[in-house]
Amino acid sequence: MAVDQTTITQLEGTPVSYEGGLARPAQSYWSESWERLRGSTFGMFFGGVLVVLAVIAITAPLFANFVTHVQPTSVDLSNNFAGFSRAHPLGTDELGRDTLTRLVYAARVSLGVGFLTVAIYLLIGGTVGISAGFYGGWLDDILMRFVDILLAIPTIYLLIMITSMLPLPLGPITIRHDAFSLSFIIAITVWGTVARLVRGETLTVKNRDFILATRSIGASNLRLMSRHLLPNVLPVMIVAASLGVGQIILLEAALDFVGLGVQPPTASWGNMLLNAQTYFYHSTWLVIFPGVCIVLAVLSANIFGNAVRDAFDPRLK
Amino acid sequence: MAEHLLEVRDLHTVFPTKDGLVKAVDGVSFHLDPGETLGIVGESGSGKSVTVLSVMRLLQRPGRIAGGQILYKGRDLVKASDPEMQEIRGEEIAMIFQDPMTSLNPVFKTGWQVGEPLRLHKNFDAKKALKEAIGYLQKVGIPEPDKRAEQYPHEFSGGMRQRAMIAMGLSTSPDVLIADEPTTALDVTIQAQILDLLRKVNHDFGTATILITHNLGVVAGMCERVMVMYAGKVAEQGPTADVFANPKHPYTWSLLRSIPRLDAEEHEPLRAIEGLPPDLINPPGGCPFHPRCAFRIDRCVREMPPLQPVGPTQMASCWVTQAGRDLNEAVS
Repeated sequence: MAVDQTTITQLEGTPVSYEGGLARPAQSYWSESWERLRGSTFGMFFGGVLVVLAVIAITAPLFANFVTHVQPTSVDLSNNFAGFSRAHPLGTDELGRDTLTRLVYAARVSLGVGFLTVAIYLLIGGTVGISAGFYGGWLDDILMRFVDILLAIPTIYLLIMITSMLPLPLGPITIRHDAFSLSFIIAITVWGTVARLVRGETLTVKNRDFILATRSIGASNLRLMSRHLLPNVLPVMIVAASLGVGQIILLEAALDFVGLGVQPPTASWGNMLLNAQTYFYHSTWLVIFPGVCIVLAVLSANIFGNAVRDAFDPRLK
Repeated sequence: MAEHLLEVRDLHTVFPTKDGLVKAVDGVSFHLDPGETLGIVGESGSGKSVTVLSVMRLLQRPGRIAGGQILYKGRDLVKASDPEMQEIRGEEIAMIFQDPMTSLNPVFKTGWQVGEPLRLHKNFDAKKALKEAIGYLQKVGIPEPDKRAEQYPHEFSGGMRQRAMIAMGLSTSPDVLIADEPTTALDVTIQAQILDLLRKVNHDFGTATILITHNLGVVAGMCERVMVMYAGKVAEQGPTADVFANPKHPYTWSLLRSIPRLDAEEHEPLRAIEGLPPDLINPPGGCPFHPRCAFRIDRCVREMPPLQPVGPTQMASCWVTQAGRDLNEAVS
């Protein structure tokens, strides 16, 4: 009897709580994916490398002023092909420009183009893909046939064609061989794949009941697409972007290397390589340093991208 | 005649397919008065859902309204523009769908979603909408609504999600609530709770309700009036009690007879309606039910009977009962 009594008081004393009933705390897709990403040590390490590179790139002017004390374009002909020294930790090139300073400035170009291009092609590809998938009909036909044509032309050919037309006056602005213009140019040649992916995902999402339910509460098409559909296709876009940065860095370096990318005297890893190949036997390190930088950046971007994909791809759960 | 809240007149909805035109809704007329509950019953493919989706103008392409009028407070919704319809959807007419498991967006917290109609129609900011949403979650019987509002739909059970859907529908105090088989995907015990809630909503908020179902028991328990649909047409309509006691269309009669009974003789076979629903591209001539009808007369094969008053309160489209025959007496 006494035992019964305690049981009852205990039961009554326990407030009914759903928290206690749940096996694990409530988690959204985002926090869950983020947890998974954090759990990947390898991925996070290279993500860290990418962040360090990005910080160095962003603070390049400070670096030039306070660490190396030279500007990337300051020529010192009396001191060309210098070896490693306190003044020039990684030596100088044929014009006596400090290699380390140039590498640091070049990181701005490569990483800047890498991230900006991906942002732009996600924007274009996402918008086109969602509109095509959502509206269907003739809009879908026109947009997707255009994508088909775009994807049928080799990217490098398109890029060479466009960049060889530069500088191109376009109304009040002139498109030049600078990092900003290159980002747009690369983005408009590669957004097709993303558009296709996003369109496919949109087609499956838009036929799910909650889209009809959201329509039934009076949401406009624009709101449906931007507020209700987009978050559902975002995982696909993240997965598409995760491996994009590395590819774009490579593509940009290749353009620089064939002389159609960022033009000297602005330093980029690609044009430093191009410049250094003349002195390959004479000063091998001039080739090695930008090469190592490219490999490090692309490798970090790809490994981190892989980890992001593994963490965010709903199909891999 | 007083104006009805919602009046559908001779609605035709078609779906062009490569095999021909599917006449999913073929001349349906009905009305709904403020605070009333109307049940629409019929088997799968009889045009129940398409009828209400037409009212909401939410037909999936290539479906389209081919004719008729949908008068809501005197305005013809068939002619309304998209922005006008967006104003009406959610604010004036709300809808609840069959499968609560898929009707909520998986990426948003439930409270945010329940508040979405308020943000769309009443210009509420996020904070105010969430507060209102929590209030409505409480009203539909969700315990600890402030905690539940912060949870994602996958943390809700089916019944709780349907409650959340109802809360979302109610949040703007619409005049009409359309429930399209709201309990079909739920357990029987939860079904009863949800129906109870819908009844309470109708009673407390005075929301006129259209309930689509293929469960006659649900209609008997909830609806003042019932409309029976067959092959995209109205077979019979009238007050639920009268229709159930004295069906004036052989299809209604067969439906009522096919309900399994607890007091049936042991091993008595279930009485199904023989045959299959007709092909809606090439429906049989005359009355679409004639191939399956036990009361068929020659005229049924040749001519489609109009929907006409049969008896004091009911309307039916049947030559047999319009000629004065009583179905209950005919077979006993």
